[in-house]
Order: sequence, then C-alpha cells, then structure tokens
Amino acid sequence: MNNILPANKRLLVIIPALNEEASLARVIANIKAAAPWADVLVIDDGSLDATARVAEAAGARVVTLPYNLGIGAAVQTGFLFARDHDYDFTVQVDGDGQHDPREIDVILKPILAGEADVAAGSRYIEDRGYITPWLRRVGIVVLAALISLLVRRRVTDPTSGFRASNRRAIEYCARHYPSDYPEPESVVEFARAGLRLREVPVTMNPRYGGQSSITPFRSFYYMVKVTLAIIIDLLRHTSKA
Amino acid sequence: MADRLTLTIIIGALGLLFIVVELVRQRRLEEQYSLLWLGTALGLVVLSVSREMWDRLALSIGISYPPTALFVAGFVAMMMILLHFSTVVSRLARQNREAAQQIGLLQWKLQELEKRIEETPTHE
Repeated sequence: MNNILPANKRLLVIIPALNEEASLARVIANIKAAAPWADVLVIDDGSLDATARVAEAAGARVVTLPYNLGIGAAVQTGFLFARDHDYDFTVQVDGDGQHDPREIDVILKPILAGEADVAAGSRYIEDRGYITPWLRRVGIVVLAALISLLVRRRVTDPTSGFRASNRRAIEYCARHYPSDYPEPESVVEFARAGLRLREVPVTMNPRYGGQSSITPFRSFYYMVKVTLAIIIDLLRHTSKA
Repeated sequence: MADRLTLTIIIGALGLLFIVVELVRQRRLEEQYSLLWLGTALGLVVLSVSREMWDRLALSIGISYPPTALFVAGFVAMMMILLHFSTVVSRLARQNREAAQQIGLLQWKLQELEKRIEETPTHE
C-alpha cells in the first residue's frame, strides 16, 4: 500500500479497546497491512482480559488507563497522545473489527486535501448492504435528523466512530471531548467550534468477536443522554477551535 | 403547642450545628463544604426564635399555617445542599478522569524511557 501522507507528516491510528482480546490482533494486523506508515495506539480502557498484552504483541503502542473511563475519555486520551507527540493526523478505529482499515485512505482523503478538519465514515450515504436492526436504525435516523437540523447540513451517520482528524481537530478534541457516547454530541460540538465535518461512504462489518455493549436499556439511555447533551451544548458558549 | 415546636426545632438545629462543627474540627469535613450546613442550622434557629417575622413571611408567600413554612424552608435548604454536592461530584469526576488519562500517558512515557535506557550501552 502506498503512503498517501505528505512527506514528514505523521499519522496516529487510535483504537479505544475494552475487553477486545478476541478481535484486537486481527484489527491491528489489518491496519499494519493497509497503512504500514501509520503508528498504532491502543487505549486499553481498564480491560479485565489480555487486551493490552495482545495489542503489544501485535506491535501497537499501548496506553493503559488505570480503570474504565468510558469510550469518550479513552478516545480523548488518544488525542492527548497525538497532540503531545506532534502527530499531524489521527484516525479512530473501533477495536471490534467493524471498521475496515483498507478504508483509512478513504476517510483521510478529504483531510489531506484540506477540505475538512474531521472526516467520518458513514454507513448510510450509499447502500452497501450494512444491516442495522430496525429499532437502532430508527434511533440513528432520528438523531441524524436532529443533528442535521442543528448543524444546518446533512449528517447521515452521527454515531460513526470511524473518523479522521487533522491537527486543528486533534488540538480541539484533546481539550474538549464528550465523555460517554461521544460521537453524535461531538458532531454538534465540531460544527459549533467551526471545525469542518465531512462524511464519506464506507462499508462496515459485523464485529469479529467479543461482546457488544448495546442492550435495550442502554439504547434508551443512549438516546436520552445524547439528545439532552446536544440540547445543552446549544446553550453553551463554545470556544472556537 | 407552638412553643414546644420552637423548642424542638431549636434543639434539632443546635444538634446539627454541633455535629457539623465537630466534623470540621476533626478534619472529616472541609470548611468549604460545611458552609451550607452551618447556614441551614443557623437559619433554622433564627427563624424559629423570631416567630412574628416568620408568621408574616409565611402568610406573604401564601402558606396559611406558618410551621409548614419552616419545613418548606428546610426542604429548600436540603435541595440546595444536594445540588451543591452534585456539582462537587461532577467536578471531582472530571478531575479524576483527567488524572487517570495523565497516569496512562505518563506510564507509557516511563516504559519508553526504561526501554531506551536498557538499550543504551553503558560507557565503562
């Protein structure tokens, strides 16, 4: 795979992981195959299994959090790492194998072209056969409609955690990042901070192994929490990135 | 009846006052977090002693039985204290999260440095 980065520019792939020993080795191997020029950082968010050891054996840098902080704080730790070690770009990839590392190129493209500060992979721009349970699909459609209305442009997949960021976005996220279920809320925050968001079509897979964190009660909590967070955000004075 | 109520409230409020001061004295409660408790206890004492003022105040806000107003005031004070502690808990949670993130990042740095030291040949 050709290095698509400009000379002297560095990319950090951030993988937040909670008990992902079953899938992590494969995820990291795929990233190394698809983008050997990237550095891979796993944030072990207080896993009880061998996540950190598996990640290290697969050749990733591993930051181990002393206890579980939640996905948002874990991803933000990755942004802090990227900021402190002078990375120019980051890509967030889930540790469960849902995101295809071969598409790192695809989501980086608008960033490298200077057309966006954050690029997010969307399952729903083009129909690529990704099957979403209908209730979750309804939730995503409602959220997408609400968020599209607020940021005044069409957002199709606000829950996507497959994202690329440039230096400006890295510095913003290192300072401000929502703590749990961060993706939809951050879409609104980015817009308000003046960061340009672009969605690009991607294909997502079912997870490789391990446990999904989604249960009916959590889905309900997710919708309530995210909607509340988005509305509260609107009442805040947001600092520009 | 009314005097007995006044006495009960004064005893209760003084008891609260004593417990709060004692906790601060033993350093089991920080001064800044004791202020709302002290304010509540003192407020109860003052209000229950100055009955007339209290009766007028109760009637003016539409409470026809003045002692009820005392409980309303106590309830409001409790709510304020609880809300205050919710903000304290939120602040602690944020600081805790930031500290944990830094622990993780520093630990990584430390391990990198240790690896580098092991790899460096000693000049002897």
